[in-house]
Amino acid sequence: MKGNKVAITGIGETAFLRKGEETVMQMMTRASLAAIADAGLTPADIDGHISNKYVGHPSEEIAHAIGAATRRFTAVADTAGGTATTGDALRLAQLAIEAGLARHVLVPYAIRSTKPGGVYGFHAREPQKAGLEMPAGFFGQPTYFATMANRYAHEFGMSEAELASVSMTYRAWAALTPSAQKRDPMDLDAYRQTPMISTPLRVADCCLTTDGGGAYVVSAVEAARDLPHPVISVQGVGIGYNNYPHGVLFTQKPCTFDYPGWDSAAQAYAMAGVDPKDLDLAQVYDGFSISAIVQTEMLGLCDRGEGARFYAAGHAKPGGRMPVNTSGGHMSGGYVPGINLLIEAVRQLRGQEGDRQVPDARLCAVAGLGGNNHSTTILARD
Amino acid sequence: MGIPIYPVHLEDPLFQGYYDGLDAGELRITADTETGEWVWYPPEVVPGKPDAVLEWRPVSPEGKAYSFTTVIRSLLPGDHKAEVPYTVILFEPDDAPGVRIAGILVDDDGVDPACDMRLRFRPVEAGDHRIAGFAPVR
Repeated sequence: MKGNKVAITGIGETAFLRKGEETVMQMMTRASLAAIADAGLTPADIDGHISNKYVGHPSEEIAHAIGAATRRFTAVADTAGGTATTGDALRLAQLAIEAGLARHVLVPYAIRSTKPGGVYGFHAREPQKAGLEMPAGFFGQPTYFATMANRYAHEFGMSEAELASVSMTYRAWAALTPSAQKRDPMDLDAYRQTPMISTPLRVADCCLTTDGGGAYVVSAVEAARDLPHPVISVQGVGIGYNNYPHGVLFTQKPCTFDYPGWDSAAQAYAMAGVDPKDLDLAQVYDGFSISAIVQTEMLGLCDRGEGARFYAAGHAKPGGRMPVNTSGGHMSGGYVPGINLLIEAVRQLRGQEGDRQVPDARLCAVAGLGGNNHSTTILARD
Repeated sequence: MGIPIYPVHLEDPLFQGYYDGLDAGELRITADTETGEWVWYPPEVVPGKPDAVLEWRPVSPEGKAYSFTTVIRSLLPGDHKAEVPYTVILFEPDDAPGVRIAGILVDDDGVDPACDMRLRFRPVEAGDHRIAGFAPVR
């Protein structure tokens, strides 16, 4: 695949709420219609659909809900989290458009984190977790990622203040973002006042509980030039896949925090013909502060083992040399896995962000962790 | 420190041997009967070998902590407030490099948990079953 062939022509989001009233389908429909309108298109123009296996609604349902025309192309992103929404879905959309199978491809996503069973319910269905880990009290993402954080600190060193600086950085961006869920200022004292869940991770180190949706439209670059917004082209997409199922990935990988982001970033930078020093900003999948630290290193924004100190030095804050998660990320902005980070990247590159606009933003990387897979996407403004 | 109490569901026979081992005071994991290699966690299908037969064998009770975390807010389904805090250990037996077994830190006498700390297995009663405990080696 080559870069600069497709563009993100439309973006849409719902409100991000701690507890909303709408179903996943309602939120996906609302976000999709907003994205299609943002692209200057109508539902009848949408002929390609990428659905998500974790959402549970196949593309005919969303196509029906938005009143789309006959579908010419459908596919399912087979990964999880940000890898699915910002990597796999985009790659599939480009394949479909380049093959002439679709002109305008819709990628919708929505989540009800407050659904019965909670956000950890799917882990409880893994036989290895139910049989061997839950009886030992090892359960839930914050607990899994806490063991990664302690191992990371053992190998590279990481103080409490350095870890906290990730949350504080994203909160500083959220304070500039009207739609963010958590906007109250957070210094180290405020960070320490958030409850500890599983050492060293506090509530402030974790993504938010969100009910919300997002969607985007992918079109050929040539088609994008006839649409209302500046062309935000896809310059590179890289995806690293590891074959560790969910049942074993938090315990049995040789290094539990070694996501395949080194591979995805190398692929994406090569496809785009750029390197990390060319970036103006980045969006990093921050399910947890520790996973954001590691992915920040994998994107090449700092050296390996220096991610926490990169944040502590203020480089990613408003006014810093490499802004990261400029709408507050998943930890302060809202948790609609990956897709709200991609949408924020597009808004920044369009130059629409007001108080939090990164000056002259032209090149943005989006890192998407999903289970044990990882994507890196490079977007550029023409 | 507390002890997590969560029911062991053994509808899946894949894990019966682990709890049989704990009842016998041993830490047992699965190995391929043909090659003798450890295969952990026991999978539904051994990679590349759908006909492989696994058996439960004891591993060294001594090893080290790959990592740990002290659980302050239990995320297990149900009410577990009375059981926290406890420290989860991901234990690597000396004779099974790369294998990790989830258990809890016991007999720590105020020793802070740490990655690579030396540990020795000791089964712990947790309601109507046993779980793996790991005590610091002094």
